[in-house]
Amino acid sequence: MKKFLVKALALGGVAYAALFAVFFFDLDGKLLFNVVEPFLKNHYDNMERKDMLTMPYDMDKFPKYEYEV
Amino acid sequence: MDFKKALKDFWYGKPHGERRLGDNYLPKTGLYKHREWRGVKDTFYYFNKIWLYNYIHMVMDVMKYGGLINFAKGVWRYRWVGQTYLPVLHWFDRGMEGMRGPAMKASAWHYRAMVNATIYQFMTMFNADTKLHGGKKNDDWYHTMAHKETVWGGIFYPWSDKFKNVSLEMIPYFVTCHVNSHTVHNYIDAVQSIGLPGDPCPMCQAESGLYVLDDIPDYSPFMITCNEACDGSVSTAVLQDWFNDKPLYALAMPMQFDDPLVKKYCKRDIEECWKFIEEQTGVPFNWDVMVERLESQNELQKFEWEKWEVAAKTNSYPVNGVAQALYRIYQSQFGDLPIWHFVDSKVRPIMERCVREKTNTFPNTRHRVIAWSCAPLYYSNWCTWAYNCWGLNVIINMDSLMFDMTIRTDNYENMLEDVAQYHMWAPMRRMAVGGMHHIFELWEYMERFNCDMVAMYDQLQCKGMQGVHGLFEDEFRDRNVPAFWIPHALPDSRTVSRAEIRRLISDYMTTVMHEEPLDPSLLELDDDMTW
Repeated sequence: MKKFLVKALALGGVAYAALFAVFFFDLDGKLLFNVVEPFLKNHYDNMERKDMLTMPYDMDKFPKYEYEV
Repeated sequence: MDFKKALKDFWYGKPHGERRLGDNYLPKTGLYKHREWRGVKDTFYYFNKIWLYNYIHMVMDVMKYGGLINFAKGVWRYRWVGQTYLPVLHWFDRGMEGMRGPAMKASAWHYRAMVNATIYQFMTMFNADTKLHGGKKNDDWYHTMAHKETVWGGIFYPWSDKFKNVSLEMIPYFVTCHVNSHTVHNYIDAVQSIGLPGDPCPMCQAESGLYVLDDIPDYSPFMITCNEACDGSVSTAVLQDWFNDKPLYALAMPMQFDDPLVKKYCKRDIEECWKFIEEQTGVPFNWDVMVERLESQNELQKFEWEKWEVAAKTNSYPVNGVAQALYRIYQSQFGDLPIWHFVDSKVRPIMERCVREKTNTFPNTRHRVIAWSCAPLYYSNWCTWAYNCWGLNVIINMDSLMFDMTIRTDNYENMLEDVAQYHMWAPMRRMAVGGMHHIFELWEYMERFNCDMVAMYDQLQCKGMQGVHGLFEDEFRDRNVPAFWIPHALPDSRTVSRAEIRRLISDYMTTVMHEEPLDPSLLELDDDMTW
């Protein structure tokens, strides 16, 4: 049990230190800026999108919604 | 090397004048070589209670409001969420640069509230979105109401026990500009690509562009639109009517709202809107729920007044200019949410302690600034830079002050009277395009908040505000008020860059005020590509 606790504490300590390194050196920002965002932008730029301008504009499809209040 | 000084700097952080925050940026990107060392206590507070806390709570919020699968589908489908909201912690960094102690803590709590409210809204959209669920209209779709972001969320309180309301553009457009200013360019360009000229309000352009690119979730059976702020929004609503193809109620907002006859019309229009919602949902107006939610919102307003008192009368207000502005406009426009109360309960003890101990929360303040008119969304954190570089402390801003009221709940007539008033005092209306009397309330608020300088925003594509530019120039001269202008194009960072805004402020501070910068490393920055 004691051994397990020591191991867990040591692992926790290493994880905490690693996270602090990510934080301090802005590694999350660098990853998002240099890798994640370009990848996602490429995906969005190449997505197939519906051509909205081909939709008819049915102006009289719905009533005028006027009420007595 | 002076070890004693180095140890002191390590433990307490460097004093303001020695920080050289500008040296910490990587060229162009706005990324940091390393995040700021604020001394042991504040660095670890930022790491544990801001950075880690917010990353963990973002995941928890996503799971609580709809789950990781819905979120992943949304990220893959919609540019505005994937490109914008992943680097949200960098948005915290930009707003909190150079902050220490209670100012850092209270400001970060305000950001936490906005993150939670944002996740709540986009997850509500994704849960109901037919585009993410194979075209199926699920139960959430039938229980979500869509409206323009300029319609106050309180209009929907009577149905809030059974339905959720989410604005069409607040998350896909408005909040994105603050977090990642690049995303919105796609939407502005999209609407111009179908023939819209480049000079209308870029807010309306971006909102329309979301539809042109088919980048808006389909999450509701009907929608409420609004003409606020101006006829540009009417045009957006026309495109929304076309592309959404759903039952629509156009809730009018009067331009000149001090006339009792106009108010009578406005009250009637709100009641008609409520009839429309009753008809569409099949659920009647619930007075008890309305009262409960309004009273909850009134509690938020009462605390806001306490905050204003502290900001106006002491040097112990622990909320920086950008946190004050964004939190307040978000909260007052969206309406009541549990997270606002939670965050207020966290900010209250910080603020009360500062007052009790007479803590000077922004000790390098040279000028108490009031910011007036509509701010550049892509550079809302300019005031953090201005404090660090020049000691300009933005105490309060126009957007915070618009909804300066509680709403009576003693009877229906009083409630409707106040709801109409609140509705008419909307963003970009009461003190922007809402008439001369209200826009010149600047002078009263300047006195009330003990400000000695004005930061005057100049939205270059707002025809209404361009019309009063000269009047303000005359007033500033007549009243001998130090004032600098911040030109911008609301969301579009390509018209006036952040660097240009900083240059204009710095020029004013050197040539007119004859002052020296507190941190010269912040004078010239190349952050053109930054989020």
